[in-house]
Amino acid sequence: MLEFIISKYNFWIYIILMMIGFYAMIAKTNLVKKIIGMNIFQTAIILFFVSTAYKSDATLPILLNSQGHGAGHHAAEQVIEVSQYINPLPHVLMLTAIVVMVATLGVALAIVIRVYRDYGTLNEDEIIKAIK
Amino acid sequence: MIEQAPALIVIIPLLCAVLSPLVGRIGKNVGYVWVVLTLASSTIFAFITLKQVITHGVVHYRMGGWLPPWGIEYVIDHLNAMMLVLVSGAALLVALYSKRSVEQELPDKTVYFYTVFLLQVTGFLGIVITGDVFNLYVFLEVASLAGYALIAIGEKGAPLASFRYVVLGTVGACFYLLGVGYLYIVTGSLNMADLSNLLPALYGSKVVLVAFAFLLVGLALKMALFPLHVWLPDAYTKAPSTASALLAPLMTKVAIYVMLRIMFTVFKPYFSIEILPVTDIMLWVGIIAIFAGAIMALAQVDFKRMLCYIIVAEVGYMVGGVGVANAIAIKGTILHILNDVVMTLGLFAVAGILTYTMRQHDLSDFKAFFKKMPITMAAFVIVALAIIGVPPTCGFFSKWYLIQGAVMAGAWSYVVALLFSSLVNVILFFRIFEIGYEFHASHDAHGFDHEVSQVIQEAPLSMLIPTVIIAVLIIMIGLYNQPIIAGIIQHAVPKL
Amino acid sequence: MKVLGFIVTVLTGALLIYGTLDMPNYGDPDSPASSHVSPRYITDTEIDTATPNIVTSVLADYRGYDTLGETTVIFTAGMSCILILRRRKKSYKV
Repeated sequence: MLEFIISKYNFWIYIILMMIGFYAMIAKTNLVKKIIGMNIFQTAIILFFVSTAYKSDATLPILLNSQGHGAGHHAAEQVIEVSQYINPLPHVLMLTAIVVMVATLGVALAIVIRVYRDYGTLNEDEIIKAIK
Repeated sequence: MIEQAPALIVIIPLLCAVLSPLVGRIGKNVGYVWVVLTLASSTIFAFITLKQVITHGVVHYRMGGWLPPWGIEYVIDHLNAMMLVLVSGAALLVALYSKRSVEQELPDKTVYFYTVFLLQVTGFLGIVITGDVFNLYVFLEVASLAGYALIAIGEKGAPLASFRYVVLGTVGACFYLLGVGYLYIVTGSLNMADLSNLLPALYGSKVVLVAFAFLLVGLALKMALFPLHVWLPDAYTKAPSTASALLAPLMTKVAIYVMLRIMFTVFKPYFSIEILPVTDIMLWVGIIAIFAGAIMALAQVDFKRMLCYIIVAEVGYMVGGVGVANAIAIKGTILHILNDVVMTLGLFAVAGILTYTMRQHDLSDFKAFFKKMPITMAAFVIVALAIIGVPPTCGFFSKWYLIQGAVMAGAWSYVVALLFSSLVNVILFFRIFEIGYEFHASHDAHGFDHEVSQVIQEAPLSMLIPTVIIAVLIIMIGLYNQPIIAGIIQHAVPKL
Repeated sequence: MKVLGFIVTVLTGALLIYGTLDMPNYGDPDSPASSHVSPRYITDTEIDTATPNIVTSVLADYRGYDTLGETTVIFTAGMSCILILRRRKKSYKV
C-alpha cells in the first residue's frame, strides 16, 4: 500500500494543486484572483507533465561526453544508454505550454484593465450591481 | 508549389499577419486589401488541397521532413480538406464584408484589428489541418487568444463578457491539455494516427477513460454545448459585428470538428459507441441543448443575442447527430457543419448590416427594413428559410439526413427536438419579418418616420455583396448537395 | 457559487485521481512515455541534429513547428494587448 502511494504521490500532489487553482477560478469573485487561480491551474499542469518525464537514476537530457558539433561522424563509436537520460519530450511540450500560459496571462490582464476602466472595480458582485 | 500547398494554407496568413501592422501603416485601405488578398490566396491553396484529396486520397505533409511519431505532420483527409475550404472561404467573405463596419466601429484600431483577425484565421486553419494532438493545442490557444481580444474591443460590457470567456476558455484548453497528457503517459505518442494504433489495447485502462472524458469536456466548453454555453451569448452579442461574424460561425464548428477527430480518428468509433455509453449521453445532451437554445432564443429582444441562442441549438443538432451514431446521422452532422457555417455567417452578416445602419441590434430596429433595404432583406429571408429548413436551401438537406438517421436509430426524442426547434425558428424569423413590414407602428414617437422609411437606403456595397454571395451559396449548396455528399462527405464519414 | 464550485472541484479532482491509478509508477524507466517515441530523440540527436542538448534539438528541429506556433502565440498576445488597451486619442485628455 505504502509502495503504491509512493509510486503515485507526485501525480496526486499536482492534482491537488490544480484543484486549488480550479476552485479559485470558479469561486473567487475578484477578477485578479480568478486569474491567479488560472495560473496555479496551468502551472500545476506543467509540473504534472514534467514529472512524467522522470526516470529513476537518470540525468538531464544533455548528452555526456559529446563531441559537440560534427559529432555525427563519430556517433557510431559511442553507445548512448536511453535509460541514462530522462525523457526530453515533456520538457519540450511544457516550454511551449509555459509560453502559452504567459500569453494567456497577458491578454487576461489586459482585459481586466479594460473592465476596471469600465466599472471602477474588480469585484464581480459589485460589477453586476453596477450593471443593474 | 503544389506539393507545398498544405503548408501554405497556414503559413500565408501567419506571415501576412506578422507583416500586417507594417503594411497597414502605408495607407488607409491598404490593410483591408492586404487581408483580402491574403485570405484569397489561402482559400485558393485550400481548394487546391481539396482537389488533391479528392483525386489522390489522404495528403500527408511532414514538417521538417521528420517521420510522423517523432515530427509533426499534417494529415488532410476529406473531412479536414472540407473544413479548410470552409474556414478560409468564410474568413475571406467576412474580410470582404468587414471594411465599412470596422471603419465605423473601430476607427482608430483598424491596423491591429486586421492583424488579430488574420491570426484568428491562422489559429483556426492550424487546428483543422494538423495531425498532432499537442500541435492542435498550440493553435487552439492562438485562436482563443485572438478571439478574446476581438471580443473585448466590442461595445459596452464587452470586456467583462470577454473576461468570462477567458476563464471558461482557459479551463476548456487546460482540460484538453490534461487529456493529451493522460494519453501521452500511457501511450508515449502525440501523433493522432499513432495514437489510434496504440490505444485499442488500452481501452480498459482508467487513464484512457479519464483522458477521453477530459478531452470531450474541454471541447464542449469551447463549442458552447448547452450547460457550458454560458460564455457565448454575452461574448458574441457584444463583440464588434465583424468579429462576431468571424467567430460565431467558425469557433464552435472548429471545436465540433476537433470532437469528431478525437472520437473517430484518435479513438476508434466503437470506443465511444459500444465500450462507453458516450454517444447515448451526447444524444441526450444534444436534445436538451436544442430545447434550451430554442426556448431561450424565443425570450430575446436583442437580434444578435437571439442568434447566439440559435447557435446553442445548432450545436445541439450536431452533438445530437453524432450521438445518434449511425452513418446517415453522421453524414448529416458533417453536412450540417458545412451548412451551419454558411447560414450563421449569413445571419451575422445581416446583424452587422443592422448594427451599421441603426447603431444597435434590437429586434425592433428591423422596422421598415423591407422598404429600406430590399436586397439585404431578400438575402435575409433566404438565410432564415435555410435555418428553418425549407427545401431548396441547404438547411433542409442536413436536417433531412439527421432526421432520417435518427428514425433509423429509433431516437424519436431527437426527431421531436429537431422539429420543435424548426418550429421555433419559424416563429423567431417571421416575427422579425413582421417587424420588417411595419411602417406606421412608431409614428407617435417620430411622426416623420413614415416618410423616411419609404426611401431605399441599401447597405454599402462592400457589405451587401458578401451577404448576397452567402444567400446564393445557401441555395447552391442546397441544389448541389448530392455531388458534395458523394464527392467529399461520403468519404469523411467514419466506418462504424 | 462557493458550494457549487467546491463540489465541481472535488468531483474533477476525484476523476483525475481515479485516472492516475492505472498510470505507470513515478520514475519508471520502462513506462510507455519513456519507451515509445522519446528513445529515438536520445539516441539519434547527435546523428540527426549534431546537438548534445536533446531538449534543444527536439524543440528547434524535430518539433520545430510547435515552436513556430509558440512564437505565434506570443505575437498574438502582444497584438491582442495593443488592440485591447489602445485608447482613442480624444480620451487621453481624461
